[in-house]
Amino acid sequence: MNALIVAHEGRLLARSGALWAVLGLLALALGFAAWSGGRNVERQLRGANDAIAYEDGERARMRRDTEIYAAQVAASGGAYEFAMVRHSPGKGPPQGTNAGAVGAETSAYVALPPTGLAALAIGQSDVQLNYLPVQMGTTLEMIKQVEIENPVNLQTGPLDVAFVIIFLLPIFILAMTYDLLSSEKERGTLAMILAHPVSLRELLASKIAARAVAVLVVVIGFGFAALLTVGSQLDQAETWWRFAAWIVATLLYATFWFAVAVLVNLRGRSSATNGTILAGIWLMLVVIVPNLVSLVATTAFPAPSRMDLIVAARDAQTEAENSMGQALDRFYSEHTDHIPVGDQRAMDFLTLAQANAASIEKALLPLYQRFRDQILLQEGLVQRFQYLSPAIMMQSALNEVSGTSTGRYQDFVEQATRFRYEWNGWFAERFLRREPLRPADYDLFPKFQYRPEPTATVWARLWPSLLGLLVVCLGVVSAPMVGMRRLEVAAR
Amino acid sequence: MLQALELTRTFGDHTALQGLNLRVERGDIYCLLGANGAGKTTTINLFLNFVRPTSGSARVNGIDVVEQPLETKRHLAYIPEHVMLYGNLTGLENLRYFARLGGHNEYSAADLQGFLDRVGLQRDAASQRVRTYSKGMRQKVGVAIALAKRAGALLLDEPTSGLDPKASNEFSELLLQLKAEGAAILMATHDLFRAKETGTRIGIMKQGRLVQELSTDEVSHADLERIYLEHMH
Repeated sequence: MNALIVAHEGRLLARSGALWAVLGLLALALGFAAWSGGRNVERQLRGANDAIAYEDGERARMRRDTEIYAAQVAASGGAYEFAMVRHSPGKGPPQGTNAGAVGAETSAYVALPPTGLAALAIGQSDVQLNYLPVQMGTTLEMIKQVEIENPVNLQTGPLDVAFVIIFLLPIFILAMTYDLLSSEKERGTLAMILAHPVSLRELLASKIAARAVAVLVVVIGFGFAALLTVGSQLDQAETWWRFAAWIVATLLYATFWFAVAVLVNLRGRSSATNGTILAGIWLMLVVIVPNLVSLVATTAFPAPSRMDLIVAARDAQTEAENSMGQALDRFYSEHTDHIPVGDQRAMDFLTLAQANAASIEKALLPLYQRFRDQILLQEGLVQRFQYLSPAIMMQSALNEVSGTSTGRYQDFVEQATRFRYEWNGWFAERFLRREPLRPADYDLFPKFQYRPEPTATVWARLWPSLLGLLVVCLGVVSAPMVGMRRLEVAAR
Repeated sequence: MLQALELTRTFGDHTALQGLNLRVERGDIYCLLGANGAGKTTTINLFLNFVRPTSGSARVNGIDVVEQPLETKRHLAYIPEHVMLYGNLTGLENLRYFARLGGHNEYSAADLQGFLDRVGLQRDAASQRVRTYSKGMRQKVGVAIALAKRAGALLLDEPTSGLDPKASNEFSELLLQLKAEGAAILMATHDLFRAKETGTRIGIMKQGRLVQELSTDEVSHADLERIYLEHMH
């Protein structure tokens, strides 16, 4: 590196106008992407909060009913009783006293909290719902909300900072470097420079440095600004190590593209040819290879379609209903409010419904397992094939640091599934004992507490991508060192 | 100061330079004459290490240019046929940049202006962007760059081709001054008249070989032209 050449290049760039156009567009894209990412996170949080608030409201209403009922019972000196399931209001114990009704008719929404960097990479979060409904009955209702047929998909989704970095940053870098050496050669200044005691390596390194500083100041600066404006949890160390990893990944990715430009320039071809070759490389690594990997992953390990799941659930339900037998039972199962009060059948029906759900759930378990396995296989395949393109490694790394990776989401789904069993168990147990819910019981409902993954787990998924980027960078950076020794400034 | 030892370069089947032996001492202006493709430019490119010798060696101040390219370039100044500069910088800025690349950070603005004055670039042109310059003006800045480098050896590749006679004459005057200051000058040229007038020695090249060396004192203009043409047939 040569400070004189860096300063000289800086002056030339500043005077050319092209630099300002490139940096301006980059800044504009990053600013818009950060705003868009921030909005996306806000929308998700609002969605989750609305759902949770609605269900909390429903339960609060039921609780108020039980409080009124408890007061009536206390005043009249009667017994606090268990309500039949019914939809029409009337006398007698309110629905809120029935644990089965409360557990089945209101959902507990569980939400995956965003990380501090969520706004920087939307990742899979636009196709994977960040909050899931937890109900009694079967896991099906919850699983149906999980996007099961969407493997790592790099092409779709709203504009975010990750998109700008993965897709657009290489274009901006190549626009500034495709003629790094060829323009000096075509202008005739290369011979003038190299008649001085300056090595080609020093010249290239300095020219790259001047451009890299300009580009990276904008990218890192905007990344930092985005974190401060649309990021969150700035008081937590986790946010900052995630951001540090974001910077490392971005630097590695940018280095890769700068090095590719140098490598192509060292072939000694014209600026126009260099531009074409570099555009081809971009298309290959950023568009074609990631799409092929995605295609291979979904073809090799296709997830059973959501329709399969629903059809299987219906079959299981039909079978359960058949074993339930009687037409009257079926009629009552569809018209619970017509069950005569005090009829033993009403009591039996509630137990039957629970048994029914349990048998459907049991029938569906292997299917859930298959979904989970296929997603993991797809994810594993993408993880293995990511080394084919720095763009996939970068997407993988940015999703991971932003907490929008498939891995983190799967962990959340598993936590939600475990919570659903807990929820189901809590209500089913009270209901099967015909134990009426009292107002105070409402405080005892299971509560979902998201347990963040251990840092080591996150790093275990993150480091292969970062290491892969590093290795690719070292390879591409060291290749010019070899080519440079052979290059002759003046050919024949 | 400049020395070629059995210097050979081939490009595939084509031999651009075959076993060249040459010495240019301080105070010498050695003119290489010959048709296009005779190996003149290749010789200069070899001294600059822009191309690598197939065999033999080129030395500057006794140092092999392939082994120590950066060191030898400290002692070399180069003026190509077309001096190419940064169009977005002024003549003075170009000069300052190249002077610093050559390791001369010590020049003040007045010093740099002095070099431009010495090569005869108009004062108002010095502060204009080079993109507006004529070829003659660019060549002058090229000479100023060479002067500012204070190099012991100059490599000139047809530096006056396309210059008007007055500019060409001024250029020759500068060469004589540099010669007097002890520079070793190797110049490829087609200008027999200037070669005889300013050169001390002449080498005639043909198809990659140095076919004859002469001292300019020994020949007249007419003799030189006759000898040259004899070789070309």
